[in-house]
Amino acid sequence: MRTVEDIEIRFPGSLAEALAWQADEKTRGRPLAGGTDLMVQWESGVAAIPERAVSLWGLKELKGIRETPRGIEIGAMTTHTELRSSPLVREKLPALAAAAATVGGRQIQNRGTIAGNVANASPAGDLAPTLLITDGLATAASASGRRDIPLAKLFTGYRKLDVRADELLVSFTLPALPAGAREKFHKIGTRAAQAISKVMGACRVRVQNGTIVSLAVSLGSVAPVPVRLPELEQWIAGRRVDLNLLEEVERRASAEVHPIDDIRSTATYRKWVSGRLVRALLEA
Amino acid sequence: MPATVQTRDPRWVGQGIPRVDAEDKVRGRAQYVDDLLVPNGWHGHVVRAPVPHGLLRGLTPDPAFDWSRVVVVTAKDIPGPNCIVSHDRSMPVIASDEFLYAGEPVALIAAPTLRLAREAAEHLRIDFEERPAILTLHEVADQFKHNDPALVKLCGQTIRKGDAEAALARAHKVVEAEYTAGHQEQLYIEPQGLVAEPTGDGGVFIYGSMQCPYFIVHELCEALALPPEKIRVKQAAVGGAFGGKEEFPTWLAGYVALLALKAKRPVKIVYDRHQDILYTTKRHPVWSRYRTGLNRDGTIAAIAVDFLLDGGAYLTLSDVVMYRGILHAAMGYRCDHVFVNGLVARTNTVPSGAFRGFGAPQAIWGLESHVDAMAAAAGMTPHEFRLKNCLVQGDTTPTGQVLKWSVGSPAVLEKSLERCRFDEQWKKCSRGKPGAKSWYGIGVSFFAHGAAFTGDGEARIKARAAMDLDWLAPGRPGGIVRVSSTEMGQGALTVLSQLAADGLGLDLSRVSCPFPDTALVPNSGPTVASRTTMVVGSCVYGAAGKLKKALEQFAGKPIASGKEFDEIASAYLNKHGRLRVEHLFVLPPGTQWDQKTFRGDSYPGYSWGCNVAEVEVDPRTLGIRVKKITAFYDIGKVVNPVLAKGQIEGGLVQALGYSVMEKIGIDRKGRFDASRMQTYIIPTMQDIPEMDLDFVEFPFDHAPPGAKGVGELPMDGLAPAIANAIEAATGLRMRDLPITPEKLYEHSQKNLGR
Repeated sequence: MRTVEDIEIRFPGSLAEALAWQADEKTRGRPLAGGTDLMVQWESGVAAIPERAVSLWGLKELKGIRETPRGIEIGAMTTHTELRSSPLVREKLPALAAAAATVGGRQIQNRGTIAGNVANASPAGDLAPTLLITDGLATAASASGRRDIPLAKLFTGYRKLDVRADELLVSFTLPALPAGAREKFHKIGTRAAQAISKVMGACRVRVQNGTIVSLAVSLGSVAPVPVRLPELEQWIAGRRVDLNLLEEVERRASAEVHPIDDIRSTATYRKWVSGRLVRALLEA
Repeated sequence: MPATVQTRDPRWVGQGIPRVDAEDKVRGRAQYVDDLLVPNGWHGHVVRAPVPHGLLRGLTPDPAFDWSRVVVVTAKDIPGPNCIVSHDRSMPVIASDEFLYAGEPVALIAAPTLRLAREAAEHLRIDFEERPAILTLHEVADQFKHNDPALVKLCGQTIRKGDAEAALARAHKVVEAEYTAGHQEQLYIEPQGLVAEPTGDGGVFIYGSMQCPYFIVHELCEALALPPEKIRVKQAAVGGAFGGKEEFPTWLAGYVALLALKAKRPVKIVYDRHQDILYTTKRHPVWSRYRTGLNRDGTIAAIAVDFLLDGGAYLTLSDVVMYRGILHAAMGYRCDHVFVNGLVARTNTVPSGAFRGFGAPQAIWGLESHVDAMAAAAGMTPHEFRLKNCLVQGDTTPTGQVLKWSVGSPAVLEKSLERCRFDEQWKKCSRGKPGAKSWYGIGVSFFAHGAAFTGDGEARIKARAAMDLDWLAPGRPGGIVRVSSTEMGQGALTVLSQLAADGLGLDLSRVSCPFPDTALVPNSGPTVASRTTMVVGSCVYGAAGKLKKALEQFAGKPIASGKEFDEIASAYLNKHGRLRVEHLFVLPPGTQWDQKTFRGDSYPGYSWGCNVAEVEVDPRTLGIRVKKITAFYDIGKVVNPVLAKGQIEGGLVQALGYSVMEKIGIDRKGRFDASRMQTYIIPTMQDIPEMDLDFVEFPFDHAPPGAKGVGELPMDGLAPAIANAIEAATGLRMRDLPITPEKLYEHSQKNLGR
């Protein structure tokens, strides 16, 4: 009977060393970031206990937030605390900063990381919708090189990512909020703090002279993966914002999602409140 | 002033002094069971039934496993009758031929490490034949409504006053509704945990986390085939209990004791949170149906109630939970014709058990929701209706008890309504107004809570407290409180110390109140039923007074100062050694109670309370925020106002969770579904509303210095106050707890169809 104590946890000195270990099945370990999801899953028996884990927490190469021509680049081991308090993220990716501030409590925010939140690939992961609305990229590295993955294609199924066993997520590159656009994040949780989402969502919208130029909207906890609402986004472009539009948005957003019942909420409530939430995101 | 009078002046009672155990706990010195070093101790593990109902055919050990490294106990190893002596003898310590809930113990294993014990469990095959199971309150309520003979009644009891059916037939209006609530987990911070050690004389010493040390002695002595004096039980520091450590620790004590006696060494079991939620007692789910009649003048003509509790698999103490429930189900209002029909039904789930309020919150949930429905039918506001109909001094309860003394009604109601300007705020309620950014609502509940044991409980237990005159330290004589009441975070040690100090007329530093040890304390009853301060406290106060008198007789003069006490007490101790005096609790003169018909004085006294909840509902999401609670309580003489308020604040938060968050169901395997803190949702600091709390004191003169119960009271009335406020905010009447946005949405959709 294996327990958490049986896991061999290895601490690479560099990203290159970690990638070298991951390249070989014999040395490969479960990537471990802040541990806020994995430790709980291992302890509770929800996730299988691996032979080995590779702790990425101390790797300096995976830290940091900087502005690049392609967008804001965020290292994989950036914590929720760093995201919520970074002036750059708060200004250029305000929905992400807002989402990071709602993850767990302060202790979790000090340990949990952006890559951990994404790699856990839970439909209730609070950061995912705020990443999806940027049309950004995730970068995965392996011993043989690097690969950019559009975020829209990263989440392939329930708790599944398009990342190979020999790869590690190393950074995210997220186009900044363009001039004239705004972003919002809203979470409907089970309580006022320390809540896992029933439904949460984010939007990035550009409105000119009362007309919607473009909309990116994403919801979590309504499908096996975090989703964008392409039908709504396509339909809404070029329309004027008024009460009728908002009512139609509510109806369409609700129609476009197919959530399920679980311990936190019901399919019918989620479907209804998805429409309400998207409408609230669009209301100024 | 003569010294004897001075000593009767309360000095400590009424003061909000810090808890006597605070420093140990703040500094981390307090030793909880899992902090204790257990030399040569082994770990115990429980092997459990995999399905909710089955016939146990046998246990097959895997021959490939080395069983010499562990000790296994099955029902066959139990020296006496295989039962826990609770309110009946139906529940086995370990299932032998049939099991009635998923998780019922079928075997016990002890090993040097917990890992080895668990590994052994994986090598023990349970052979069984699955039987059909009833899993939910919903199923038993349906059986009850349709008079289905398949309903398994664990017990029943009625209360009759006048002729409710005839009065309903005559009534101007009849108001009918059903109310339900699910399980609630106590979620103490410290999970359940006990250690058992064999003693040299063939007995066993059990210590750890518990509320009621003597329960373990009395409930296990048959199964262990030991005389009570060979079962010694001692409480360690307890990190919260709320009723969850009332009867459950006896089960756990059975497991560790059987393992320790067979392994001939100490054995410890400490549950992790998951096990604790899955396999320990919870608040009884309730289904109640109210049929009430109104007269033309807005008075109540009749109250008829069916009150059904889901008892889980075995009776344990569900009968008394139901008794307290039915005694509160029609309490608080003037009515000549009352019929309450209480019963407890079996489901194949973990036996339901004690939880703060003990049936009263389940009853008051229905009653106080229904009072709003009656007010509406009478064309009155909820507060006018309550003020018009509430019981006051001289009135008669449903059991025929005349409220002769210490009646905080209508004071608590009037004060609360005034403090929050209810009348003004009531007019501002949104009632689901379209287009609003936020819906506001205010709601009230009003209730009494029977203080001390129900019915003949106190008369049967004859609670005693002792005070020992002894050396607290070399050269320092003092009084040691000897009671079986336990500190579990509520402040009992502090309050009992205050009462002892005032009884002696001495400074607090000359009093000590250690954790109880059945080898050293008399049985002052369990620490339950809001009885500790009132009943045991009064005994301590009385015993301390007697101790002082004895010393004064010894000295031949009154003791006027601490210095005199030190001299006289030292002289006494040097001459005679330790002195013990006891005091017995006596029910008020003229107390009459018929346990068969439930007529008479069901409780020696009542505490009273009123809760006003103000809520905001977000029309966009139907999210519920409780913004403010205004509450007044009459708990008699307030011994320690800071601790009493702390009890109430904490209890209201627990009641807030019960009202709008704590949802736990039964999954397809018959187990609790929200079995971790990730899924069992309790309030955080961010969810806690503003609270405006106060007391009105109507001292209870038959238990000096006049305290009544407080512990359970805050759990009683918040849920209906919130439901009433939610109706005022949204126009939706919610009759099932917890009230969640999901249920509000579902209900709003049903209403649209009308």
